[in-house]
Amino acid sequence: MPSAQPDNPEHAADLLAKIASEQSRAAFSELFRYFAPRLQAYATRQFGNEQTAMDLVQETMTNVWHKAHLFKPDRGSAATWIFTIARNIRFDLLRKNKHRQNDLSADDLWPVLAEQNDSLDDDYALDNDLLMQQLAVYCEQLPKAQRTVIELIYVEGKSQQEVADALEIPLGTVKSRTRLALQKLKELIKHDD
Amino acid sequence: MIKFHPSEQHLVLYAAGELSPAMLMMVGTHVDMCAHCQSHVQDIEEQMASKLFGDNEQLARRASFDEQQMLQAIFNSQVPADSVPIAANDSLYLEGQRFALPPTLARNHHHIGEWSRLPGKLWRAPVRVGGEEMLNFIYMAEHASLPEHTHKGNEATLVVNGVFNDEHNEYRDGDFMLLDGNHKHSPATQNEDCLTIAALEGPLHFTTGLSRLLNPFSSLFFK
Ligand SMILES: [Zn+2]
Repeated sequence: MPSAQPDNPEHAADLLAKIASEQSRAAFSELFRYFAPRLQAYATRQFGNEQTAMDLVQETMTNVWHKAHLFKPDRGSAATWIFTIARNIRFDLLRKNKHRQNDLSADDLWPVLAEQNDSLDDDYALDNDLLMQQLAVYCEQLPKAQRTVIELIYVEGKSQQEVADALEIPLGTVKSRTRLALQKLKELIKHDD
Repeated sequence: MIKFHPSEQHLVLYAAGELSPAMLMMVGTHVDMCAHCQSHVQDIEEQMASKLFGDNEQLARRASFDEQQMLQAIFNSQVPADSVPIAANDSLYLEGQRFALPPTLARNHHHIGEWSRLPGKLWRAPVRVGGEEMLNFIYMAEHASLPEHTHKGNEATLVVNGVFNDEHNEYRDGDFMLLDGNHKHSPATQNEDCLTIAALEGPLHFTTGLSRLLNPFSSLFFK
């Protein structure tokens, strides 16, 4: 077997693909043995604290294990992706150490691990531009109750809680109407493509 | 076409997460709006990653740890709770007008405070992101002007939507400008209104952290 190392970008990308598709422990172990010690060396020097450094390593590699499916090879190398995960965790660790609750969170600055989902788990799964252009047309085809919720959220910019308050209905109902409406909109949009 | 960009140093410190919260928001918003800086930030991240993971000298000097134990802990771990992002909200309203916010601001919509009216057709809303430096939306209606002023420190301004002028230039969507304390200027709008965000900036440091990976004297990013 040719002995490619994880410092070979293509090999590292293949390993991530294997972790994503079949939860390959062998593939992850190989990545881990390459990246974890290097992260640790850097983090120890950075934090000057063995324990914080280990937290950074473990948290970063835990994300790599569970979120490998979010790696997009066309957007950069595996090493860069792992670097950006570590950068975000470091940012949040430093923030926590300052006991600041209102500050920025790394995910809100650099959404490295945001699910770019095709699923509808996320209530806000529709692409925004698409939404703005086509929503008005498609909305007309929604049942009235769903349309009202969608308009309040996406046109007036209300939160789901605000919509619940305004319509005097439970938050759960707003959520399910939003989900159903988005599902329906997606079907309509797909159908039209 | 965006004419004014953050400096190389700003982009490096942004990619490292080592600017003040206010400036992270400013540079992040510019990067959202500017394809050029976006690909530049990707290059910088790539560069930092290869420096970080390519440092075999440090690797040799580190204390070893029980890799097998950490591996097991990771295999046994729960999927990290999907940090359900606070839903991005890309609409900002003022006087019945809707402004579309770039992603960085949309994801941080919950930090935006109330608008207040200032003399001279100006409105201001704070963005509370922590840190020493203030971050504010400044909205200038048509035919508005700010009195000529200088700044104590550096002031960064980014046009989110619209156009304004000062003695030197015209600034449009995405333009990012940094004015130092000696720089006098008097911004004004003409027939169009203008939404900007502005932050006072402290000194830039390259003394610690990830940005240090790109030493100013060795990096191709500093010319
Ligand atoms: Zn730019």
